[in-house]
Amino acid sequence: MRIATLLALVVPLVASAQIALFTVNNGAEVPIGAVLDLGKVAVGDTASVRIRVRNIGTKTANITYFFADGVGFSVDRPTLPFPIAPGSVQDALLSFTQTTVAPLYPANLRVDSDINSVSAYVIAAVVVGPALTVFPACTGSNGPPPSIDFGPVQAGQVRLCNFSLQNPGAQDMTISTFQIAGAAFHISMGPSAPFTIPGGGAITFVVNFTPGAAASYTGSLAIATRTYSLKGTAFNTPLPTPLLEFDSGSIQSAQQRRLTMRLPSAAASSASGSVALAFLPDTTVATDDPAVVFLATGSRSLPFSVTQGSTLISIGGQTSAMFQTGTTSGRIRFTLSGVVTAGDPTTLLTIPATAMSIDSAIATRRLGDLDIQLTGFDNTYSAGVMTFTFSDISGQTLPPGAIRADFTQDFRTFFTKAQAGSAFQVRVSFPVTGDTSGIGSVDVQLSNSAGIKSQHLIFQ
Amino acid sequence: MKLVLGLAFWAGCAFAQSGIEVPAIGAIVDSTGTLRLVQGVAGNFWLGPAKVWGVLSAACSDRRCLVKTDSKILSPTGETDAPPGPAIFDIDGDEAILFFPQQGIFARWHADTLDALDWAVNGEILSVRLRGAETEIAVRRDGQVWIVRPDGSVVDSIGESVGPVLLLPEGVLFAAADELVLRRQDAPEVRLPLSRAQSITAMGAHYAAVHAGNHVGNDAIYALRTEPGRESLFLLPGDTP
Repeated sequence: MRIATLLALVVPLVASAQIALFTVNNGAEVPIGAVLDLGKVAVGDTASVRIRVRNIGTKTANITYFFADGVGFSVDRPTLPFPIAPGSVQDALLSFTQTTVAPLYPANLRVDSDINSVSAYVIAAVVVGPALTVFPACTGSNGPPPSIDFGPVQAGQVRLCNFSLQNPGAQDMTISTFQIAGAAFHISMGPSAPFTIPGGGAITFVVNFTPGAAASYTGSLAIATRTYSLKGTAFNTPLPTPLLEFDSGSIQSAQQRRLTMRLPSAAASSASGSVALAFLPDTTVATDDPAVVFLATGSRSLPFSVTQGSTLISIGGQTSAMFQTGTTSGRIRFTLSGVVTAGDPTTLLTIPATAMSIDSAIATRRLGDLDIQLTGFDNTYSAGVMTFTFSDISGQTLPPGAIRADFTQDFRTFFTKAQAGSAFQVRVSFPVTGDTSGIGSVDVQLSNSAGIKSQHLIFQ
Repeated sequence: MKLVLGLAFWAGCAFAQSGIEVPAIGAIVDSTGTLRLVQGVAGNFWLGPAKVWGVLSAACSDRRCLVKTDSKILSPTGETDAPPGPAIFDIDGDEAILFFPQQGIFARWHADTLDALDWAVNGEILSVRLRGAETEIAVRRDGQVWIVRPDGSVVDSIGESVGPVLLLPEGVLFAAADELVLRRQDAPEVRLPLSRAQSITAMGAHYAAVHAGNHVGNDAIYALRTEPGRESLFLLPGDTP
């Protein structure tokens, strides 16, 4: 009998050591005792604490129950049931929110496994919280989540933000917590905690945001039960508006051109960003011209940088960047991003519509056929009408004279399907009855909406 | 002479119905060892999709490209076992002459078969040229580049070549100090500024691919148009990340 009693006492103790509850704060585990106090929570706010279930035993624990039974409490955790291997943990988020003021909201936090159960008594109080009003140029809200944004500020400059903290209740409100954290943020004017706000009254205070260098800044402002996240960004002194320049010569299709960028005056600070190009075609047949790219990368964006005191802008590590103008009339738009500039540096290059351009042309004879191959582009996407006039080896025009053909639909179909600019290779064959050796040349005229292109070809 | 002319489109390849297709320039081996088609017109190039991976060498004529991987020669019609390592080759019609630098041997390729040749040419083989039954070889000896025949007889010399050489059907393209030199029998010599040329290969019928750079991230591939009167040096679009 004594042995049996002893076993009964020992077994529950061993089993209770299987899973254990902790809170986790900044990565540190703290065992949860009999009571877990969430403290005071302002009306409508949400208080959350990370709960960790740790399996400290040697067998897998299957969690079958994991709830906080109480008004206003909830647990965000995996769907039940779930296992926790020996030595492993499972985190969950215990939250509480209520809209009715009361000094005590209780709950029973309980976790059951197939080996043992653990539980804790959780309490929270709901109080009337102060209401914070944020005045421009800052923005913010009481949440959730409570946050204040100081916006962009030039590095080295100060942004002052004014706040009003009201007591919406009829009773005096004592603020025992009033502190700010985070580099670049500090309270420059206002009361020191603890202080009292009379019922229906308010106090004002000022927070300075003073970033030393271009970066994103975060911080926090704790007021009573509520903690506001603070954020602000700092940028360097605006660059003088960059000048985007191109190598000399008229801009046309099918060119490889050079972009250089410089500042009209020295940069006050180092800066870096991206230069991007976009293509805006005149035609509706194509939505883009994919050959319009920076050649260094075959892409449409390159990084650039400028060092303090310099007017030279390095593009992709080079003094300039080559790009292609494509084979479509329209506009190439260059834009900068990632830097603040005094003015808009966006630059447009116009690619004018031109008559068809022939890159190469070959006329050859075969037995019974004359073949003409033309390679070129039509940056208007309106090609189609062609005229062929054959001549003998002495230059005399052969009957029937000019032969007109309209390939407009063929070109339109090709351009629409290819979506690769207007470059094309067209091969036209003329079946011939008779001796072709006497045919010396052909004059080809190609028409588009911008004009007529003529090409004289000698048969090979 | 009585002629009757009709009009019709040829059956093309990519757009057979219309007889219009995207113009092809040739092919290159990019920095990752991938064979990429080069399409477009002069001054407006783009790289087509990857065709073959693990490419050590490639050369193209107006009719075909031959590709050397570590152990094969690939053609549009098939593949052939080949000695390991890169190759230097030239294509003429349905035949090609190859040189395998690691083994120091020449071979003739035809119809996806490879026949070793018993040629012995001293020096660093830079380029080969096959025209009909004749083969010429550019070779560097003691800092001087010579154009020789397989029997060793000297055809010509290139005095100022300091880098890669490509024998063209009617001339030679080579790298001198800070420029490329295009020298042909019946056309004026053309010089185009370019430094740090690392290799020159036949990209297609009318273009040579010039790899240039310092191998520290500033590599680039240029397309040099070799047609008389239209010689130009273009930069090919780099690999999009």
